[in-house]
Amino acid sequence: MPRLMPRRSATLLAIVFLLGTAPFSEAKPRDPAHAITSQLICPCSCGEVLSGCTCETGKTMQGYVENAIKQGKGKDQIVGALVARYGEVIRGAPKPEGFNLLVWVLPFAATLAGFAIAFLVLRRMVRRRAVIPTSQGALVADRGGLSPGRTLEDDLEALRARAEAELRRMRE
Amino acid sequence: MSELGRLALFLGFACSIFAVGSIAWGLRTGYSGPLRSGRRAVWTVCALALLAVILLERALLARDMSYRYVAEHTSKDLPLHYAFSSLWAGQEGSLLLWLLILSAYGSAFLFAYRKRLDPFYDAVAMVIATVMIFFTGLLTFVSSPFRILATPPPDGMGLNPLLQDPGMMIHPPILYTGYVGFIVPFGFAMAVLLLNRSGTRWIEEVRRWTLFCWGFLGVGILLGARWAYVELGWGGYWGWDPVENASLMPWLVGTGFLHSVMIEQRRGMLKTWNIALIALTFELSIFGTFLTRSGVLTSVHSFAESNIGPWFLSFILISGTAATALILYRKALLESENRMDAMISREGSFLFNNVLFVALTFATFLGTTFPVVSEAVTGTKISVSAPFFNRVNVPIALALLLLTGAGPVLSWKRATASVLKRNFVLPTVMGILAAGIAMPFGAEGVYPLVCIFGAAFVVTTIVMEFARGIQARKSSETAALPAQVVHLVKKNKRRYGGYIVHTGIVLLFVGVLGSSVFQKEAHAPLKTGEALHIGPYTLTLRGVTERQKENAILTTAILGVERGGKLVGTEHASKALYSKSQQPMTEVALHWTPAEDLYMILGGVNEDGSASIQAYINPLVSLVWGGGIVMVLGTLIALSDRMRIRREEKAG
Repeated sequence: MPRLMPRRSATLLAIVFLLGTAPFSEAKPRDPAHAITSQLICPCSCGEVLSGCTCETGKTMQGYVENAIKQGKGKDQIVGALVARYGEVIRGAPKPEGFNLLVWVLPFAATLAGFAIAFLVLRRMVRRRAVIPTSQGALVADRGGLSPGRTLEDDLEALRARAEAELRRMRE
Repeated sequence: MSELGRLALFLGFACSIFAVGSIAWGLRTGYSGPLRSGRRAVWTVCALALLAVILLERALLARDMSYRYVAEHTSKDLPLHYAFSSLWAGQEGSLLLWLLILSAYGSAFLFAYRKRLDPFYDAVAMVIATVMIFFTGLLTFVSSPFRILATPPPDGMGLNPLLQDPGMMIHPPILYTGYVGFIVPFGFAMAVLLLNRSGTRWIEEVRRWTLFCWGFLGVGILLGARWAYVELGWGGYWGWDPVENASLMPWLVGTGFLHSVMIEQRRGMLKTWNIALIALTFELSIFGTFLTRSGVLTSVHSFAESNIGPWFLSFILISGTAATALILYRKALLESENRMDAMISREGSFLFNNVLFVALTFATFLGTTFPVVSEAVTGTKISVSAPFFNRVNVPIALALLLLTGAGPVLSWKRATASVLKRNFVLPTVMGILAAGIAMPFGAEGVYPLVCIFGAAFVVTTIVMEFARGIQARKSSETAALPAQVVHLVKKNKRRYGGYIVHTGIVLLFVGVLGSSVFQKEAHAPLKTGEALHIGPYTLTLRGVTERQKENAILTTAILGVERGGKLVGTEHASKALYSKSQQPMTEVALHWTPAEDLYMILGGVNEDGSASIQAYINPLVSLVWGGGIVMVLGTLIALSDRMRIRREEKAG
């Protein structure tokens, strides 16, 4: 059973982070125009997301999107036309392809890697604690704040030496 | 006067070098004289930075256009209070404010520990003085605010209209107090490594300094969000703008540190990790200034042209490399004193929470810097904005919300099955109930439901913790419940202060959820007497006025607000056209209720005389600000936890 844990955890994490690709802002789009303009950036220097932009260029663009929808154009068609005119910079998020795929993959890959490392570190620390041999060959399960992998006598000796050194320093 | 300003900065530079050299010599030889001189030099830099600020403020208030900085950031018609805040409107002034706060931290630090004779504190001051060398040097040789124009213009270029807002008078200094303050924890960490010090006493002091600047940074971020809400006029408060991200990143890593430091204090573990987090927080606060001031965000080309960008980048690289090298060099000092008892424990949950904080920071860092990297690699300009961050950061943040509930109810060392059952069943049930109740009210989709579940889960665990605390004390059976709660908080301010901060976080999450997912929007051109309907509200245009306001022409739409057929207020949504920049700026009209904001914007006046009105209903947005206030309250309570420290000091 313990062996299954990492696999289970990994599967669970994968599910959680796959859900991450579902856009939060599109959970309940208010209207088709907003669904498009909330994913675009105003092409003027203001740099605002188009749906909330109040500059003249932004308002013109919002009008363009609304008109295009009324004319029966689809989302891809409208976005495609705007990208052809203003370039990729108009997309609020880059298309997940080519080099730009990295920006989509790396955060989740790093999170999963972080979890995996934390899991392995924790497991190693827990295992080390469970089995710490003493000089007599017995097993010590709990040794409070003492150093791992050393005998109690070693630690006692080290502590005694440290106490003496500190006393000497205080006297000086 | 400009010569005096330049001299003050140059002397500041010289004193910073002297402070570092003198303290280093004192530490090496053990003589107290050089240490005392070094401390005095740090005080002197603070006095010189204050003098430079006073001189620049004098020029700004007098609108002395012979100063290049004054001519670039003020004008004669600029109101006096905005002339004062122009100090932090531009690069040179902002750097000067940085230096003033940095040197003030150095002085405050030395004042706080003036009775401690331990040279350890001098080593901390030395690290602070090293950073002072960088900033005084930058202000003296690269980006001086005291540059004089050969031919002063008759009037200045004026202040950026966006900065002409009362919020901008306090937001940057508070934010900087948070940003710059991370120098003290960084100083502590580096001093521990430099002097090869063991022990955990310093970690409590670091925790308090970190909490202090973390609180300021949090308040600064919230003030910035509030400013964006009322000044930018796009209906929201957080746009994942690079400047916002720059301030969020050190706050996130600092939050992670405030959690993992508890493991070091209680169990003597994660020492390397904690020092690395402190160093990362400091580097990110420098990086934030670099990001906003270097021009790197505009494009790689403007970075190359920036006069301070390469200096900042070099400083980040050098200080980051030095910190990493020191950590590796003192690896033995940072070895854990204890081992983990079980994976399912509070220590384990804090470790995973740290992974999420760092992952969230990494995602924010990557998204913020990726346009520059992509342009450099592919040659094509791209944008990485809110649509990206909403998809990537939101799930990580929700996972953190869930851990906010789980961590505090897991026992230290090992959480047994019975503890898990006792602590998790009720919160889980409450979470499911809350999500179930929210569904008929329009909560759809995975994220909103997870957010509601998480919020209810966390609140239940906090209530359970308070209930257990009161039950365990049994000291004031006759006292009223609020009095018992206050008594409980007073007994362990740090612990319950933390729970109050968590409550603030929950309120913040719920506020963000309500105002983003349930936001309503409507817009229409209105002529006088015409109405716009949005939700339960009807907005009727009463008229449009135009008047001169100091340095701008203000066009105002007067809107009658009705709810359910009953007039509930008259609001004024305006557009200001500033004389200098000729840039139209939005002045939002807000009709506030505890449940929601009715947010109204005047888009402009059309050729046919109609006014373009845009309105939003932002439900629960008050919880964002309320959550912030609760977080500040919790931070103050946690900071005031001195009794236990005094007890420990007396004992040891």
